[in-house]
Amino acid sequence: MQISPGVLFTIAGFPVTNTVLVTLIVDVIIVLIVISVYKALSVRPGKLQNAVESITDYFYSATKDIAGDRASFIYPWVLSFFIFILLGNLIEFIPGFESIRFFSPHHPGAEHGIPLLRAATSDLNLTLALAVISVIMSHYYSIKYTGIKSYVNRFFSFKMFGLFFLVGMIELMSEFVKFISFSFRLFGNIFAGDIALAVTNYLFIMMGFEMFVGIIQAFVFAMLTMAFTTVLTEKSH
Amino acid sequence: MEEILHVFGLEKSLFLFQVVNFLIIAFILKKFLYKPLMKMMDERKNKIEKGLKDAEDAGIALENAAQERQRILADAKADADALGALAKVSLEETKERLTSDAKNRSQQIIDEAKQKAAAEFENMNKQLGAMSVEIAQKVVSKTLAGLFTGDEKEKITARALDKIKKGGYEKSAN
Repeated sequence: MQISPGVLFTIAGFPVTNTVLVTLIVDVIIVLIVISVYKALSVRPGKLQNAVESITDYFYSATKDIAGDRASFIYPWVLSFFIFILLGNLIEFIPGFESIRFFSPHHPGAEHGIPLLRAATSDLNLTLALAVISVIMSHYYSIKYTGIKSYVNRFFSFKMFGLFFLVGMIELMSEFVKFISFSFRLFGNIFAGDIALAVTNYLFIMMGFEMFVGIIQAFVFAMLTMAFTTVLTEKSH
Repeated sequence: MEEILHVFGLEKSLFLFQVVNFLIIAFILKKFLYKPLMKMMDERKNKIEKGLKDAEDAGIALENAAQERQRILADAKADADALGALAKVSLEETKERLTSDAKNRSQQIIDEAKQKAAAEFENMNKQLGAMSVEIAQKVVSKTLAGLFTGDEKEKITARALDKIKKGGYEKSAN
C-alpha cells in the first residue's frame, strides 16, 4: 500500500486519484443529505432531520459554551469539518473499498492494480487543504472581530522588555505548526488504520476500532478548529 | 523536499481541488442545511415556549375562573339567603295581614248577622203581636158570644185588646 493516492486517470492534466473519486462520492452523499433534509424540513422532524438536528444542536451548543456570541460564525465551519471528515473516514467501511482494483496506466508496476476507492482522508492533499482552511479561517475571523491592531499585537508586542515579543514569536510559530499537526494527525490516523486493516485482513474487531478512530479524529479536528478560532477571536491583552 | 512531497503524493492541483471542493461543500451546508435548520429549530423553540406560556396562562385563567365561580356561588348563596329571609318576613306579614283581614271580615259578617237577626226578631215580634191580638179577639168573641150584647161585646173586646196590646208591648219592650 502506497502513501500517495493512486492516479486513476487524468482529465486535461488534472490527476483523478482514487481519493478524489471518493471525495466526490462524499460530496454527493452530503448533497443528498442536504436535499433530503431541506425538502422534508418541518417543525415536526422526521428521522433524518432529527439526527441532523441533534448533531447541529450539539455542535452549536458546544461552540456557544466556549465562544459565546461568536458561535454564530464559528459553528458552521466546525460542523462542516466534522461532517466532511466523518464521512471521508467512515466511507472506507463500505464493502468494495480497497478490494476493487483498477489497472491504471499511471501505475504500470502495480501487479494487482491500485484500489479504485480509498478513504478520502488518507490523502495528505485533503487533510492539508482542511488544515489550511481551518487556520486561515481562524486568522481571518481574528482580524475581522478583534481588529488588525489587536491581531498584530498578538504576535508582535514589545511589552515587558521584549518578553512578549518572544511569546509572540512562539505563538506565530505554533500557528505554522498547526498546518502540520492538523494535517498529519488526521492523515496519519486514517492511513495507519488502512494499513492495520489490510494487515489484519479486515478483522471485525479492528474494523470497529477503526470506526471509532474515524469518529474521534473527525471530532478532534472539529473541536480543535473551534478552540483555535475561539482563542484567536478573543481580544489580545 | 520535493522527494518527500512526491512520497506523500502532494500536488498543487490536488491540493487546490480539495480546498475549493471543501469550500463549496461548506457553503452548501451553511446555506441549505444549517441556516434553514437553525431557523426551524428557533421556530419550534418559539412554538414550544409559546405553548408553555399559553398553558401557563390557561392555568392561571382556569384558576381565576375557579375563584370567580366560587365568588359567584358565594354571592348567589348570600343573595338567596337574603331573599329567603325577605320572603320569610314578607310571608309572616302577609299571613298576619290576611288573618287580620279574615278576622275583621268575619266580625263584620257576625255583626251584620246580628243586626239582621235583631231586625228579624223585631219584625217577628210585631207580627206575633198582631197575630196574638187577632187570636185573642177571636177567643174573647167566641167566649162572650152568649153572655153579652153586641155593643158590650165590642166594648169588652176593645178594652181587652187594649190591655193585651199594652201588656204585649210592655212585655216586648221589656
